[in-house]
Amino acid sequence: MKLTRIILSFISAVAILFSMSATSFAKVVGDKIVLGAAVSLTGKYSSNGVHTQNGYNMAVDRINSMGGVKVGGKTYKFEIIYYDDESNPKRAAQLAERLISQDGVEFMLGPYSSGLTKAMAPVTEKYGVPMVEANGASRSLFTKGYKYLFAVLAPANLYLDVAIKTAVELNGGKGVKVAMAFEQDAFSQDVRLGILDAIKETGSTKVIDDKLPKELNDMAATLVKVKQMKPDVLVVSGHTKGALTAIRQIAEMKVDVPMLAMTHCDAAKLSKQHGKNSQYALCASQWHKTLTYKDDFFKDGMTYDADFNKMFGYAPPYQAAESSAALLVFKDAFERANSFDQKKVRDALAATDMQTFYGNIKFAPGGQNVSKPMVLFQVMCDAAGKCENKVVAPLKWASAKLIHPVPKWSER
Amino acid sequence: MSKNNLILYAAILVFGLAAPFIFPAFKVQLSILCVLIVLAITWNIQGGEMGYNSFGNILFYGLGMYLCASVQVGMFFPLAEWTESGGEKTFVHTPAQFFQGMAVGLVVAAVVPTIVAGLIGYSILGLRGHYFAICTLGLGVAAGEISGGIEIIGAGQGFTTPPFPNIGSLEARGEFFYFLSFFTLILTFIAVRSIYSTRFKLILNAIRDNEDKAEAMGIETMKYKIIGWMISAFFCGLAGGIMGGLVGYIDSTDVAFDGREMGVFMVLMAILGGKGTLWGPIIGATVFHIFKEGFWTFFLGWQYVALGVLIIVIVIYFPEGIMGWLREKYPERFGEVVDEKDRKAQVELK
Repeated sequence: MKLTRIILSFISAVAILFSMSATSFAKVVGDKIVLGAAVSLTGKYSSNGVHTQNGYNMAVDRINSMGGVKVGGKTYKFEIIYYDDESNPKRAAQLAERLISQDGVEFMLGPYSSGLTKAMAPVTEKYGVPMVEANGASRSLFTKGYKYLFAVLAPANLYLDVAIKTAVELNGGKGVKVAMAFEQDAFSQDVRLGILDAIKETGSTKVIDDKLPKELNDMAATLVKVKQMKPDVLVVSGHTKGALTAIRQIAEMKVDVPMLAMTHCDAAKLSKQHGKNSQYALCASQWHKTLTYKDDFFKDGMTYDADFNKMFGYAPPYQAAESSAALLVFKDAFERANSFDQKKVRDALAATDMQTFYGNIKFAPGGQNVSKPMVLFQVMCDAAGKCENKVVAPLKWASAKLIHPVPKWSER
Repeated sequence: MSKNNLILYAAILVFGLAAPFIFPAFKVQLSILCVLIVLAITWNIQGGEMGYNSFGNILFYGLGMYLCASVQVGMFFPLAEWTESGGEKTFVHTPAQFFQGMAVGLVVAAVVPTIVAGLIGYSILGLRGHYFAICTLGLGVAAGEISGGIEIIGAGQGFTTPPFPNIGSLEARGEFFYFLSFFTLILTFIAVRSIYSTRFKLILNAIRDNEDKAEAMGIETMKYKIIGWMISAFFCGLAGGIMGGLVGYIDSTDVAFDGREMGVFMVLMAILGGKGTLWGPIIGATVFHIFKEGFWTFFLGWQYVALGVLIIVIVIYFPEGIMGWLREKYPERFGEVVDEKDRKAQVELK
């Protein structure tokens, strides 16, 4: 049978292809420290994936131009190998494997979103590759006993519980009725658990608890229920698309609710895209430009905001800021470890205690950053229709007073 | 089996066994390739031989994935605590627990989807043509949404499968999963090949060519359609179970019931290679996987555009797939006797 020959030649062709593509980099080449990162350039998280990448790139540029990283008396520069994980955990796990075993990367930066971080962490852990991640906030990441995972951000359950507590406080300490709508993904579900804890703690009741599909672009059914049940607080979390959908449909359907709490308002550029419709939305954020943290590289939040704007043409959402902070953490750890040994760098990372423009960073044994609180801001618009995010909690940084309850649509 | 065939199989076996040592850095990609081939071969039983374009095989794959992981955890630890997000406890499998759990898990992952296929087959396989395709498409989507709401398997949080135990070298995990998927592939191939050498294949072909006539001839088409689907389900479940362990994290719609990617890929691979042939899906899956990995490396951000172009090229230039194209080009190599005059006449007629 001649078919045999065809198939045999096909197999050898495959073999040749494979061996040709087996190029390998090393972690430290010449004066470069090569970091690996898989970010979502396509798929449902693509906009936040790009924020993440921009944050990384900005920090690489800044650190390199300000003298790089000094290890063992020699100066090194950062370089990042990127892959696109397509917002897909399966792909992310493969890429982590690929970065480590094929590209020889020995230090990793995190992807965007908790789900993807969850998929990559087992791989980096297996190879003992330190990963500093800036966008995986789900609590379950920090209860798996990972030794090489470090997150510069506060865990997801802390995102919006402040909103519930504030609502209860404004209600004279009595429990409130809470409506919840969360996307079916690792991050949003963890935010939900945080809310459930807060409800229990404050003696509130949940009146709606909806799970929404991924790539959220319709939540009308939930909003109809909200109109009927008249809750005191509506909590929505579904990454960028969730925030955009919620605002669009709440405005369309004229849903009146005294407090609307969300995540991802700044990543979705709500105030810019929806203008006055987004007014009064309360948003959880890891960072805000007006916070008074400082470091040597980006100076402070306002300077970071201006520089980022100059470089990429839009205001940095917190996803970009925390991503930049991840590199500051790496630089600091390399210099303290004074070595490229993965174990030593890991130990140095674990001992991190520093301030960056983004906030204080100190890791708990689980790997989460425990020394940085979340902030809440509210979208506020002036008479001309220009909208801005203003910090309303915690009071230490508040630049405006919380407007509560939200005026009815008929009165706006 | 002819001598030539023996050489071919021996060569493939040797290549397969040696591959992880020749290309140590590509173990994960090679394991995934094996899984993809299994999916393509089993899809071909419906799509190629039986003429039923199923988008529902992903159901069995996802089911197998969740079942294998659940059994592997549930045998030794409380599953609910494992998947609970805020849980403070850390559970660690000993090597013996890991492998025992995996073994039992894979058996369950293969058997349960087979039973499910038998049960739902009665109602669904009564549909034909587009109706069947759409109905099966719905199956995968529904399964994804439903599993995303079941707390005990992690719901929207996802399910982290047990980490591979620390035994020996770092390479152990890759080698374990590679050989597991490679042997599953061999098992699938042998099973499907021996099935295709029986009357069963002729019955499937009869169903494809004219189901009413086949029934009129006294064939119980429903029975054979269901058996065919159950065979697919068995191997899809197995493949899913392995993939779950390999990826290490199960998400309801992105990893397990991933109809948008895996569900479509298995169809594409079979069509690319040539549906209705034994080797077509294998070649299709291999070519597809290599192209896909290549696009991901060289067209960062544009990989889906490149993949789309590839699909268009396939549909336009190779409607019969690679095997079909080869067969038309070199019919004598496929053991067909060709009358040149007749062939020319046919070409002109076209």
